[in-house]
Amino acid sequence: MAEPPTEARRKFLATLTAALGGVVGALAIVPGLGFLAGPLKRATTRGADQPLRVAAEHDVKPGKPMRVTAVGRRDDAWLRLDRVTLGSCWLVRATDSAPVRAFSTVCPHLGCGVDFNDKTGKFDCPCHASSFDLDGRCLSGPSPRGLDELEVHADGNDLLVRYQRFRNGTPKKEPIG
Amino acid sequence: MSVSPASPAPPSEPRAAGHRAWLSERLGLDGIESAILGGQIPGGASLWRALGSVAAGLFVFEAVTGIFLALFYAPSVTSAWASVAYIQDQLPFGWFVRGLHSFGSSALIVVAGLHLLQVLIFGAYRRPRELNWMLGLALFGLTALFALSGYLLPWDQKGYWAKLVEATIAGSAPIVGGAVQQIIQGGSAFGNLTLAHAYAVHAMALPAAYLVLVVLHVYLYRKHGPTPKWSLSPEQIAARTVPAWPYQAVRNAALGAVTLLIVTVAVVIHHGAPLESPADPTSSYVARPLWYALPLFQLRMYFEGPLEIVATMIIPGILTTLLLALPFLDQARTNRPSDRPRIMVATALGLVALGVLSGISLAKDAHDAGFAKARAEEKARGSSARTLALMGVPAEGGLAVFQNDPLNHARAIWDERCAGCHGLSGTGGDKGPDFKGYDSRAWIRGFLENPDGPLYMGPAKLDKGMKPVEGTPDEIDALVELVYAQTGAADADAARAARGHELVPQKDCDSCHEIDAEGENTGPNLKGRGTLAWVTEVIQDAGHGRLFGEKNEMPKFEVKLTPAEIDDLARFVIAQKTAL
Repeated sequence: MAEPPTEARRKFLATLTAALGGVVGALAIVPGLGFLAGPLKRATTRGADQPLRVAAEHDVKPGKPMRVTAVGRRDDAWLRLDRVTLGSCWLVRATDSAPVRAFSTVCPHLGCGVDFNDKTGKFDCPCHASSFDLDGRCLSGPSPRGLDELEVHADGNDLLVRYQRFRNGTPKKEPIG
Repeated sequence: MSVSPASPAPPSEPRAAGHRAWLSERLGLDGIESAILGGQIPGGASLWRALGSVAAGLFVFEAVTGIFLALFYAPSVTSAWASVAYIQDQLPFGWFVRGLHSFGSSALIVVAGLHLLQVLIFGAYRRPRELNWMLGLALFGLTALFALSGYLLPWDQKGYWAKLVEATIAGSAPIVGGAVQQIIQGGSAFGNLTLAHAYAVHAMALPAAYLVLVVLHVYLYRKHGPTPKWSLSPEQIAARTVPAWPYQAVRNAALGAVTLLIVTVAVVIHHGAPLESPADPTSSYVARPLWYALPLFQLRMYFEGPLEIVATMIIPGILTTLLLALPFLDQARTNRPSDRPRIMVATALGLVALGVLSGISLAKDAHDAGFAKARAEEKARGSSARTLALMGVPAEGGLAVFQNDPLNHARAIWDERCAGCHGLSGTGGDKGPDFKGYDSRAWIRGFLENPDGPLYMGPAKLDKGMKPVEGTPDEIDALVELVYAQTGAADADAARAARGHELVPQKDCDSCHEIDAEGENTGPNLKGRGTLAWVTEVIQDAGHGRLFGEKNEMPKFEVKLTPAEIDDLARFVIAQKTAL
């Protein structure tokens, strides 16, 4: 420290200190933010993509919706569950000869589970009172769209449903992992 | 628009200063600034003095990277390893952040150790700084506890076994040992509560305690100021005194940046911190502690049986007590190291002892072939576990990843369907060949030399089986190579195999075996013998005319197993070539 500390030197050292501190701070934070943002680029959860057996066809009676669960493989971050309940859906048919349709029990509004009301013959959401008819159309309440219909396949007498989840709160039906 | 009364802005004050003044008035910025950046460094700034700040900075670095890791970590016996493997192998930059956290903790121990040494040499523990010396030692102890508790969290082999040994050592303490061990473990054995405890201690209790002690430590440091170098006279000290900001601060930042640069390079070279295979309480793992505990590990080797406690408790206890009491034992009149010869010599001897003990331990392992083999096996097992974890870890936890292995699945089928007739251990089967080393040159040679031997077709008791191949060693070598080449082995010697091919008619092989084309004969067609396709066909229907024909007694497995099972099984058989 032979030379007298000048103002310019002081400023330079202060800037250098701040810059080094910034680099070190960035090293701590930036890669971490990178991996925190990982799920934005790649799904961390995934349900079975193929149709799952949910019921026998003759069990579904006209005008009497039946609640069934879809059981299949689910990947959840590191975990793989080979047989787990992925979700449930309502199976509905209008007449004995009509095809069976499946509606997710997840209310498209904010994701509560819709119930079937025997007295009114409608699907009611217990949380915010959206109401849907047997075709899944929204009759009243805040839901931005009707109930989400799921793909149904028949395999002999078995009914298979491709269980999916959709983004809630939007008018458009967008599948999510 | 409403009309506001004309009020001219203060004309001369620049905007920035205006904001600053506004905030300063409300927040007392000047006070904060002088509390953080104020202070003088008597006798001048130096890199030695940067060590304490770098240690504090590394602590913050560890806290930040630790929070990111905690966002993806799940402390339970079934999820810990799986979540760490997920961080390490599946999250973008996961390996990097985990590596920074792990290598950063080693850097923190090194820097804190050097800081301690600097304080010893400068005599900075002396009156009136005795209590701050003790606070510093407590912080060093907490740093070690951080590393000890963090090491367990991945629940892999090294963490599990190192911690098991440590917990048992704690349990050997007189009177309270048993209780302490049970509290560490959260019960009488290692399990979920051990992990939950270690995690809460590592991520909540220790950071809180550390933060409180660091604040006190820095407060006392600022109160008493840095200890100037012993060789400076009061006049020199006064003349060389500089403000801490930015003259000392720039050194702190530079040393911190260099330390983290080294950490980053180490992380990149090693592709992050190691992650071994999932903890397996039934295995016999060669446990070693973290690098900084090696001296204690080695010391323990010299105290056997009931004396073990001398190495695990008594010597460390005496050393800790001496260190804590140092400011009161030191009766020197000045800070000069030459006025404190006994303390300097003891410090030097202590450092040498740490180095020598670590060196002995490392050298011993380096010369131990068994240790190297165990580590190599663990490495292979770990990388296989991590590859299998990419397929998803079953709910039973990390160890269950081995169920994902098709070979493992095949082993189960083997045990049920094949083991009744065939062997795998090199001791022979009951009705068919033993497959240990199948498709290797040695296996093929053994077969050619003695087809009816106990390891080959002997147990099948064939009527009119193959006769031993006779010839010069050179000829046998050539025929072995010919058959070996049929397996598709990459290291087959084409020239020698061609020589073997010339011998086929001469040795009369072709009266029973086809080798150049698809076709049937009394013995199996040797074209592509030992390939996946060939072995698959044998499992499907060994009695096919192209294979063992009428001599065959093995069941037709194409009607008993699914194609996928047969495929797994065929791969399993081929894998016996190199199986241990």
